[in-house]
Amino acid sequence: MIDTASSFTQRGVIFLTLVIALTLALIPMSVGLAPWRPDWPLMIMLYWVLALPHRVSIGITFLFGVAVDILLGSTFGIHAGVYALVAYFIARHYQRIRNFSLVHQALLIGFLIGLERSLVFLLEYYLNDAQLAPTYFWPVLSSAVMWPWLFLILRKIRRRFAMK
Amino acid sequence: MTTLFIRTISLRFRLTLALLLAFLLIVLDHQLNVMQSTRVVLNSIVSPVQYLATVPEQTFDRLSENLQSRRSMRAYIAELETDMLDMKAQMQRYQLLLRENERLRNLLASESLQDSLRMVAEVIAVDSNSFSHQVVINKGTAHGAFIGQPVLDDQGVVGQVVSVGLTSARILLISDQNHAIPTRSERNGIRVVVQGTGNMEQLELMHVPHTSDLVEGDLLLSSGLGGVFPEGYPVAQITSIVRDESLPFAEVYASPVAQLDRLRMLLLLWRADDERQPVFTPLRDALNAQPSDAVEDTND
Repeated sequence: MIDTASSFTQRGVIFLTLVIALTLALIPMSVGLAPWRPDWPLMIMLYWVLALPHRVSIGITFLFGVAVDILLGSTFGIHAGVYALVAYFIARHYQRIRNFSLVHQALLIGFLIGLERSLVFLLEYYLNDAQLAPTYFWPVLSSAVMWPWLFLILRKIRRRFAMK
Repeated sequence: MTTLFIRTISLRFRLTLALLLAFLLIVLDHQLNVMQSTRVVLNSIVSPVQYLATVPEQTFDRLSENLQSRRSMRAYIAELETDMLDMKAQMQRYQLLLRENERLRNLLASESLQDSLRMVAEVIAVDSNSFSHQVVINKGTAHGAFIGQPVLDDQGVVGQVVSVGLTSARILLISDQNHAIPTRSERNGIRVVVQGTGNMEQLELMHVPHTSDLVEGDLLLSSGLGGVFPEGYPVAQITSIVRDESLPFAEVYASPVAQLDRLRMLLLLWRADDERQPVFTPLRDALNAQPSDAVEDTND
């Protein structure tokens, strides 16, 4: 550890990336691109669970899910519960997943985001009679494609602040 | 810091706890509706993120506005002035009709129509939530917005406010599958309830008998019966009618009059006789704690 950032700064960095994730989820996009918007909040959250499972785990993911629920106007608890479930999977197997190649990881992230979207849809369908649009699952693909780049950027940030 | 084997609480326990909590939240919010007051607080906390998300678009808008040529600006102003003249002429006619209408209503000894107060609001976020048609506007409780408030655009009814924060409010559009609005046909006054389908271009008319005299192209106006929307604002236009005798009711679809997919400026409505009134200058009011005179200016 050459430059040791204080624990306070490190928490600030995690918080900041999560706020950026929420902003990216809300930022207006052109009509053609909007259905392809990757699932930034879950991807960035999962990175931190994967990298720092002892500091960022199910509790924080749950609270983050509540924030997503508020911002998207969905029923409280839908995203929170589903996010916690996905985070559990990563926190349980983080040692194995870290050893995957980036492509392999991207496939797994795609799968998890597909799982998250299916569960959110089922809950919404049960609670609010939601209708399924074919574009709903497109972000699975775009998220998987974006994962390696996101992973490398966030790893750079993490190493810069020597977060362990 | 590196903890290899220490784990204070097991992961599975934490997951169970999180899922139970999520279930509890869903029940509280969806079944019991007790989260409204919490939502006001939470909406106010997260609204900076919503404003942050609009910054890039607004910057681009301002840039392109600044970079417009003098000529196109002039053309635009000329166009607006023509529009304005046109509107003013119509307004004169409207005033005449209003007075005449009032006189006639007096003759019939019926109550005259209520005026309403309006405030312009700007859409700051269109939701990326695929299952609910909602938009977020830049007015909240500080401006007097309240839950159940009707919202219009320049064409017709858009929806109603479903949750508010201090400086933002969430609007449920009439195309959401959880929204229904009582309407009346402009041509012959037949009452129908128009429900959203989850498709922005299509609304469904509920419980229409096969014998009802509705035809394609009929304009549906809000009837004011539900107590939420004021009477007489255009809601939808009938696009298709299928009278299949094997079904109990006719299948009637309509398209919304408001352009729900390109909302930008919206109008919030207040009833003139309501105790809830708009606050046009929340900052000044908060500082002076005195009633503003701005309300009088926009009274119509």
